[in-house]
Amino acid sequence: MRRVVITGLGAVSPHGLGTEAFFSGLLEGKSSIGPLTRFDPTSFASRIAGVVPQFKTTDYVPKSYRKATKIMARDIELAVVAADFAVRDAKFVTRGIAESGKGDQLLAEGWSKFVPTRVGCNIGAGLISPDMDELTQAMVAARDGNTLNLARWGKSDDPSKPSGMDNLTPLWLLKYLPNMLACHVSIIHDTQGPSNTITCGQASAGLALAEAHRTIQRNEADIALIGGCETKLHPMGLLRWILLNRLTSKGNDSPTTACRPFDKDASGTVLAEGGAVLVIEEYEHAKKRGATIYAEIAGLGASANGVNVLEPDPTGEAPAVAMKKAIKDAGITPDQVNVIVPTGFGVPVCDASEAKAIRQVFGDSLAKQHVMLTRGGIGDCSAGVQALDLVAAALSIKRGVVPPAVNCPNPIDGMPVAQQKVETEVNHAVVLTCALGGQNSAVVLKKV
Amino acid sequence: MRKRVVITGMGWITPLGHTIDEVWKRLLNAESGIAPTTLFDARTFPTTFSAEVKNYDFVQAVGAEAAKQHDNAGRNTKFALGAAMQAWRMAGLDGTKLDPYAVGTYLGAGEGGLDFDNFTESALMSWSDEKRGLDTKMWGEIARVKFAALRELEQEPNMTISHLSWKFNARGPSLNCLTACAASTQAIGEATEIIRHGDADVMISGGAHSMIHPFGVTGFNRLTALSTFNDNPRGACRPFDATRGGFVLGEGSGIVILESLDHAQARGAKILAEVCGYGSSCDAFAVTDQHPEGRGAIVAMQEALKDAEMTVNDINYINAHGTGTKVNDSTESWAIKEVFKAREGGPNSLPISSIKSMMGHLIAAAGAVELITCVLAIRDNMLPPTANYANPDPECDLDYVPNKARAAKVDVALSNSFGFGGQNDTLIIKRFVG
Repeated sequence: MRRVVITGLGAVSPHGLGTEAFFSGLLEGKSSIGPLTRFDPTSFASRIAGVVPQFKTTDYVPKSYRKATKIMARDIELAVVAADFAVRDAKFVTRGIAESGKGDQLLAEGWSKFVPTRVGCNIGAGLISPDMDELTQAMVAARDGNTLNLARWGKSDDPSKPSGMDNLTPLWLLKYLPNMLACHVSIIHDTQGPSNTITCGQASAGLALAEAHRTIQRNEADIALIGGCETKLHPMGLLRWILLNRLTSKGNDSPTTACRPFDKDASGTVLAEGGAVLVIEEYEHAKKRGATIYAEIAGLGASANGVNVLEPDPTGEAPAVAMKKAIKDAGITPDQVNVIVPTGFGVPVCDASEAKAIRQVFGDSLAKQHVMLTRGGIGDCSAGVQALDLVAAALSIKRGVVPPAVNCPNPIDGMPVAQQKVETEVNHAVVLTCALGGQNSAVVLKKV
Repeated sequence: MRKRVVITGMGWITPLGHTIDEVWKRLLNAESGIAPTTLFDARTFPTTFSAEVKNYDFVQAVGAEAAKQHDNAGRNTKFALGAAMQAWRMAGLDGTKLDPYAVGTYLGAGEGGLDFDNFTESALMSWSDEKRGLDTKMWGEIARVKFAALRELEQEPNMTISHLSWKFNARGPSLNCLTACAASTQAIGEATEIIRHGDADVMISGGAHSMIHPFGVTGFNRLTALSTFNDNPRGACRPFDATRGGFVLGEGSGIVILESLDHAQARGAKILAEVCGYGSSCDAFAVTDQHPEGRGAIVAMQEALKDAEMTVNDINYINAHGTGTKVNDSTESWAIKEVFKAREGGPNSLPISSIKSMMGHLIAAAGAVELITCVLAIRDNMLPPTANYANPDPECDLDYVPNKARAAKVDVALSNSFGFGGQNDTLIIKRFVG
């Protein structure tokens, strides 16, 4: 059986641009949640967010591709930036990297090229909301008071003037298709192998990883760029999460303590943006080119709650099954797991479901494990969640350190949550992510 | 040793009807599901027609209790629930005791539709000429009253699988992919891989989508991807014809029950066909256009043949992506010729048709309904036609089964789907023989 390892990490999170900024933010136990300033949120009950620091997407794409950044929604930009970090970290001279003109120099320094048809791209995404200023401005041309006049939206009364829809750029739709994250990344880096876009909320990246992992196992590819990115920092995103009672309204004056995963005082999560792209690679392929190996992908499991679409599994059974499958797939027993990374939204019903699942799988051995929580300082970036958690778990294994939880002084259900940074050998970590909507993904990573 | 995967149930809700045999009969008669758009007033749009699902009775399709439970579901999800119910019953799974964690879902389902009236009204009410933008403070005050929580949640693209998992107590692997027009072919291919690997015994797979709403049509019209033959909706979608001018937007759902052969035989299920080949590739070329030489399309077909351990002589029929857009049909024809050039009798000995000429383009759901068509072609040894074919195009010079269904021995069928963004997927199915 072909083994698959992680050889490149690229994170884009509220802690900063790049993997080091993300992981050092976790190790410091800091919160990067602050006031939401991208638009005026004063009429919303939650007015804080985890915001990715400013960047220019054109800095992360080859010159010949700069024009295409005009049709990238923010979700797509995040993925393009994360992918750039990931392929550089894996030391691949891709089409995009080569265009910088430094390709030969990098190859001389030990970087590698890859065979495009042997490289997949599987990046999770969510519902991308259209830019409301752009769309409303187009609608204004066809308004009857506060109603959109569809007749004038389709065709102007005055032939010398554009219709409402004519105000939108011809490629408008393409800014918002979820598969455009993988599409742009695949064009920039020339990955022609199996490609997909999983849209399963927070669990997207783990499910994408599982699928890409199998293609490498089956020898249909040697390498894949996997992950997920999303932003909900949009009036529609904020409104939706508020209507669904996902967000805390308690932290507007104290943003850094608002998101409290697994804490007894949790009152909801915080809206965020971000995500990550990881390079996964067949083990011999990685070894041959002298790649840095962060961890091996040892076991995969997935399940669905099969209950009301809005609620987590009240029994914790379905997420527990996903973890059990992944642990069995890894050929280990639960007591061999050192670190558990649950989603930890800070939404009490969701946290309770995950804590029950952890108890069902680890039972009495739970004293041997650390529960690692990442949401507390960054919030919920939907399709980016599990991608970031996979990065955190991989680095925890590689560096032998478990970052402390943020805002969890009183863990629910006696969960062994690290309050301080713990330096310890981590041989196996399980990342469990439970999506809003009921899809669960569990991934076991192993020290190589 | 990988497991063999078979199809044991199927169902669809389409612009040509809501049951397998009714729609199949209409496809063989070259009937059209395309007509002026009624879901909204599209009379001044560049394209005024579409392929709508008509007279769909959700309560009748899923039963009163389920209809109530899933009342909040989006239009696309309601189509999927109806189609899945047919497939589940055809597979004989109704009332069967299954391990819920061995039953998964994998769809290529689209996003749910926007709450259009509330969205447009609230946005216009809070538009600020001075700021040239939305006054989001005002918008928030209006929107939190107008919008409904569940209506908003239903737009997330994982909601269709969420409803299916709930309805059928399917707790195995649950995924949705959204790779534009290739989505449900890819979903069925990946669901097949999940069963082959032993991660589930049964997968509810396929797709569902509805983009027949003002902003959906706007998006495709701005891309100039849609046919604008407004005087002749029935004749508007002309795959492979020299006068073709774009695709016709459709909506609906196709669902198949995939099952490991062992599992199907152990419970004595009737087997409809075997899924034997799947190929997937990425153009990595451009956001809108396919690679001009069909690079990715060729790889997808070749990988599927390899996966099925078949040669170019084994394929009896191709259900084309065949959208009716200028470049896509030429590229697909080119790619087929390239892949099948070594075939005995040449590529012209291979019949190809596009049912989009009659049913329109169901976008994410297109691949699923087209795969079901392939199962029926094998079952009845009948090829559905490409309707509206009148003018040969030198770039499309293959056998497109023009205008009339044809009796032909079909044991193996290949189905192509290609999506915006460069996604290419091919499935091969065959008549099941022990």
